[in-house]
Amino acid sequence: MEQNTAKMPIRCKAAVSKMAGQPLEMEEVEVAPPRAHEVRIRILCTSLCHTDVTFWRMKDLPAMYPSILGHEATGVVESVGDGMVEVAVGDTVVPVFSAQCGDCADCLSDRSNICSRLPIRPGGMPRDGRSRFSFASTGEPIYHFISVSSFSEYTVVDVAHVVKIEPGGIPHEMACLLSCCVSTGVGAAWKVAAVEPGSSVAVFGLGAVGLAGAGCGAKRIIGIDLNPEKREIGKRLGITDVIDPNGTDGRTVSEVIKEMTGGGADYCFECIGSTPVMAEAFKSSRMGWGKTIVLGVSNDVGPISIPSHDILRGRSVVGSLFGGLKPKTDIPVLAQMYLDKELELEEFVTHEMGFNEINTALELLTQGKCLRCIIWMNGAREK
Amino acid sequence: MDTATGPLEALELGPLPLATGPTSTLEGPTMAHATCPMATLEGPAQAHATSSVAALPREVADVVVLHLLAWDVLAAKKLPLNHDLGRRLLLVLYAVVKSSSPRKPAQRHRPIYIRTTLSCLASLSSSAPSNTPITPQQPFLRYRLLSSMEDKCPEPIRCKAAVCRAAGEPLTVEEVVVDPPKAYELRIKIVCTSLCHSDVTFWRMKDFPGVFPRIFGHEAFGVVESVGEQVDGFAAGDSVVPTFLSQCSECADCRSSRSNVCSKYRFAVRPGMPRDDTTRFRDADGSPLHHFLGVSSFSEYTVVDVTQVVKVDPALPPPTACLLSCGATTGVGAAWKLAKVEPGSSVAIFGLGAVGLAVAEGARICGASKIIGVDLNPEKDELGKKFGVTHFINPKELGEKTVGQVIVEMTDGGANYCFECVGLAALMSDAFQSSRAGWGKTIILGVEMHGAPLSIPSREILHGKCVMGSLFGGVKPKQDIPILAEKYLNKELELDKFITHEVALKDINTAFDLLLQGKSLRCTIWMDN
Repeated sequence: MEQNTAKMPIRCKAAVSKMAGQPLEMEEVEVAPPRAHEVRIRILCTSLCHTDVTFWRMKDLPAMYPSILGHEATGVVESVGDGMVEVAVGDTVVPVFSAQCGDCADCLSDRSNICSRLPIRPGGMPRDGRSRFSFASTGEPIYHFISVSSFSEYTVVDVAHVVKIEPGGIPHEMACLLSCCVSTGVGAAWKVAAVEPGSSVAVFGLGAVGLAGAGCGAKRIIGIDLNPEKREIGKRLGITDVIDPNGTDGRTVSEVIKEMTGGGADYCFECIGSTPVMAEAFKSSRMGWGKTIVLGVSNDVGPISIPSHDILRGRSVVGSLFGGLKPKTDIPVLAQMYLDKELELEEFVTHEMGFNEINTALELLTQGKCLRCIIWMNGAREK
Repeated sequence: MDTATGPLEALELGPLPLATGPTSTLEGPTMAHATCPMATLEGPAQAHATSSVAALPREVADVVVLHLLAWDVLAAKKLPLNHDLGRRLLLVLYAVVKSSSPRKPAQRHRPIYIRTTLSCLASLSSSAPSNTPITPQQPFLRYRLLSSMEDKCPEPIRCKAAVCRAAGEPLTVEEVVVDPPKAYELRIKIVCTSLCHSDVTFWRMKDFPGVFPRIFGHEAFGVVESVGEQVDGFAAGDSVVPTFLSQCSECADCRSSRSNVCSKYRFAVRPGMPRDDTTRFRDADGSPLHHFLGVSSFSEYTVVDVTQVVKVDPALPPPTACLLSCGATTGVGAAWKLAKVEPGSSVAIFGLGAVGLAVAEGARICGASKIIGVDLNPEKDELGKKFGVTHFINPKELGEKTVGQVIVEMTDGGANYCFECVGLAALMSDAFQSSRAGWGKTIILGVEMHGAPLSIPSREILHGKCVMGSLFGGVKPKQDIPILAEKYLNKELELDKFITHEVALKDINTAFDLLLQGKSLRCTIWMDN
């Protein structure tokens, strides 16, 4: 049982990123016990999100090396730090990169989900900035990734980043999706944009985030993606029209969208992380009230370049992390929606594999051949 | 004498010996309105009466109006409408009218003979000395009556205008010819106008959409001189402000509360009128002059599309009404309507010109607790205080720190609302940097003076930030300007402090100098009368 390891470091396997763009290396690591406000989690399953890939490829800050990536996961609490009340050993939990301390002005307000008490500290734990991981052989520290680091059999996470899941409720691999991609897409449509029925929507990038947003119930949901294989699954998940940017007879995507919608879409979601696409999404939005919602995490520091006279015509650009959702409050709501069959999650799981095959997952995602690969830790897959 | 009675039945108009036309063929509703003293009608009924009378053939309209004038005198004296004084008044009035109006009066003569008629009436009524000038406020001699006597065939008007013949050159006051209004247009006699920095931006512009020669000006107050066909809801004599932004009231945007950019008559910097792209102005040699934003208020008379004209309460002082035509409305609207600043908010304003200070005024009436003003001109520190600015930042005096860093410190994380009111992409970026993660909104009002793009950091915006922009502060002209006017009249909104200078039309270039030197907020330019 778990009690044997409480308060002691645990040795286990982790997939470590040592150099930008290189395959992850399976290493034995030591995971320190949780301190106050922290929990140590035994990961059951994790999945690869494109933001992991973005940082995996990044040579400079904010990427740090060596580090343990991964931020979409489901796990079980193995031990807790002193004075922990909120979460108990044995709880099924979903770690989330977006904090909710519950106390700061942002957590107490409806208008924000960006916890101001615990901003993300690159490479370490949010409260002391230090790492709980080290190489078992050398003791050299290994950096965390956005307060989660789920590509490890065990990880330590601050309680502000932990969401409890009802036991026996939502299956673990589905809960894992709520840890980032689906929550981001659904939240953006529901909370950030507040898409009304009858609206026209354009979704740039039909990955898991974009497709999650496609379930928003708008009248017209135009999907834009370079990958023709996304067409079919797009249609299954609510996309009404698909545009291939390479198949527009020389017109720009915004020109095509403006024609299709009689002036521009009410809401444009950027779900890739490409600043030129963000600018194109803006141009595709309707004058008067068109909103562009930026969700993608870009890999360059270049800005989104917008014609300044255009923004005077009543358009707006808003960005959000985690779809504007408050994790502890809203993930249970989404879990219940799944159980009530109001939220589609199965379609997002396109592959399953063991922890040792994690580099295969990387290949599949970078080649656009999967949505979500669920990576099961040894012995964790439910029958 | 008989005692006063209430509204009476139809009074026979009687065979007044006028030169032409039938005198007693008034139909239904017009007759009913004609029986009721104009002074007792209010609002829509009065407007209807006015337009009914205006729709009559001129000779008949004159008869009706003379009767109405006479009846108003009787009502004021609490005499019944069939009192003999009325009949005697009519005979005198008729004599005055016949002697002072030529057969086909040119537009200029009408006001003279109307004024003569009215002053004669005033002296007859003995309620005022005979030399007292007639003012619109006298209840039984409504200014509105003048609208019933409009000329049915307006002609071109020769008048003065300030013309700009080359980019950045001083304006020259010249004689111009202003065509009559076409369908859906109004010709407006400008009472006063003011200079806005957007005029300056396009005044300097050598390439399209800068075009020359052009009559600039888009902030003004005036009186309707004549209306073209198909114009509803306006009549000669109405106090109006022209607006650069249209409101057709029919398109999806006009019908929606979410938008103020009319999609039927889209805002654009065009050389001509919005419906047909032609001009109504010619110079003394007959060469065409370009319009500016469909307003061109640096002229004693101008022609404006009905979608760009807003009626205002005549109780507004003309220079104040003029401010509502653009600058003040843009700033106050942006805070009140677009951003919806809530009590206790922190606000940062980049650029303390008239628009920026109007944002401050708007934020003040919305209850903002911190209003930070940013300007390179140190004189704006003292001036800003009059407008509710609580903290002043001069970017030149910050040393190593950036404006964004200072504001983030001052507001413990960033301001809730940041307004850019200059028109410079670099400032738009500063405004974004100063906004609070989580819910900070950056509102762009300035027209970028070099056409440079706005740069939004792509990762920073993910932290719950928003950038939005608007023309005219998100305001729908025809419904919101009257609301702001009312807020001014009931002293909720303070606007007089925006007017820092005044000049006559002939000195309009002084207004440019003052603005460019940062010495003025709004300089009222009065048209010569």
